[in-house]
Amino acid sequence: MKLKEWVKTLLFYEIALGMKATLSHFLHYKPITLQYPHEKKQLPSNYRGMLALLRYDDGTEKCVGCDLCEAACPSRVIRVVSAEVPGEPTKRYSKEYYMDMTRCLFCGLCVKACPVDALGMTQEYEWAVYDKRQLQLNKEQLLAIGDRNFPVREKRLEFQHPNVAYFNVGFKEIPQKEL
Amino acid sequence: METVLIRLGLTLSQIVVVMVAVLLTVAALTLLERKVLGWMQDRMGPMEVGPYGILQPVADGLKLFFKEDIIPAGANKFMFSMAPVLSLVPALIGFAVIPFGPDWTVDVGGVNFKPFVITDINIGVLYILAFASIGAYGIILGGWSSNSKYSLLGGLRSAAQLISYELNVGLSIVGVLLLSSSLSLVTITNAQAGGFWNWYFFGGGGFPQALAFIVFIISAVAETNRTPFDLPEAESELVAGFFTEYSGMRFAFFFLAEYGNMILVSCVATVLFFGGWHPPYPGTLMEYIGMGHLLWIEGIMWFVLKVAFFLFFFFWIRATLPRLRYDQLMRFGWKVLLPIALANIVVTSIVAFLFPGS
Repeated sequence: MKLKEWVKTLLFYEIALGMKATLSHFLHYKPITLQYPHEKKQLPSNYRGMLALLRYDDGTEKCVGCDLCEAACPSRVIRVVSAEVPGEPTKRYSKEYYMDMTRCLFCGLCVKACPVDALGMTQEYEWAVYDKRQLQLNKEQLLAIGDRNFPVREKRLEFQHPNVAYFNVGFKEIPQKEL
Repeated sequence: METVLIRLGLTLSQIVVVMVAVLLTVAALTLLERKVLGWMQDRMGPMEVGPYGILQPVADGLKLFFKEDIIPAGANKFMFSMAPVLSLVPALIGFAVIPFGPDWTVDVGGVNFKPFVITDINIGVLYILAFASIGAYGIILGGWSSNSKYSLLGGLRSAAQLISYELNVGLSIVGVLLLSSSLSLVTITNAQAGGFWNWYFFGGGGFPQALAFIVFIISAVAETNRTPFDLPEAESELVAGFFTEYSGMRFAFFFLAEYGNMILVSCVATVLFFGGWHPPYPGTLMEYIGMGHLLWIEGIMWFVLKVAFFLFFFFWIRATLPRLRYDQLMRFGWKVLLPIALANIVVTSIVAFLFPGS
């Protein structure tokens, strides 16, 4: 065994093995990288990209201003200013809605927390900007992102009063605290 | 007077041709190295500038040319400016004695002119070794004069490394010199004519110099500061080593020097161990088909092919091997390579003494 190792050392066996590995990659050249701006990777369907506010098919906003997304957000990205719909005291909506995307970690908890499916995660990821302030998005911008990414909108049902918090989030999906 | 002018013109044109060829090769090498490394690592390498990135050297050159030239505060300005030149000139000047093609002598206007070697001086090997040592000064001074910790560390490392490995380069060549009994690279090349079995690597002249070649090529990699012996410019430890503080054209000079040294070392290895421009078969194909006056094309082609293989080898080991630790480097140089080189000299001289002229 000792002799074998000596022979291996003298013949540069390990180095030759490594050189063979690199040469085989060189001869069977098959790049695994993409020329990024020219070719883009196929994203998985559950990719969590840029956040967006959604609308119903009649163009009304889904958001009811309940602040649950703000409560769910771990990095305090979202700020909602809720208000009554003018002339309809029982209905509420988000008068202002801000997202500070510099802090967002794209965990998707706000989307899960939303009782009316008003938030969605798009496949957009090219959000590098020169000015950090451009990442402080307001409601109009978020709605625009939703409009361009989700052209097929959810139908607004007649019995679904916007102010009735229709909890479509199953509680089983929320991790329960183990006692 | 006229002969002097003719000689001057011929030599100058030769120098221009060789320099242009070397610098173009360096430009191509900068791209090829990145490409080959990329291919070996399942990447594509540069792809943006021109089709498949072939204009990348132009873009790199333009960038370096227009970059701001910064001299760090507290640097020794004279030495800082001198170091890149001191590093580049020896790398390029060594090509003066490399025979690129057949050892012909042409009579031009009463001047004996060798078209395929700039000067055939009878101490060509010594000349190359001497200038390689001067190149080390460029690196050491560049590291010292930058007034930077990283540069100084890189310079110190290169000082120790170059001294240790220069010795091995010198000793590994001695076997070839014994067998050819000449220091002129032209004579050494001519002694290896007539098939690959006459090359010194495979045992031309009596004793195969394969061990000497292995010692030579390892030491040559160390001399040119390439991976796995790139301690003077270890990116992961010393930012960029001795040229950390350099920018613009001064940096480009160091870069050119590194690649120039690579080509020079490949040329020397080709000439000393692999028969220079001689094809691996006896005679030349051009002579067989009755175009003996064109055999220089074949010779230069074989020379370029051999040098290209060594350059590829440089890239290849760069893609394969990790960097040695400093103590490993020293131990390997002094305790492994040096005894092998010395033993090779002893055995070769005994064989050369017992079987002279075999």
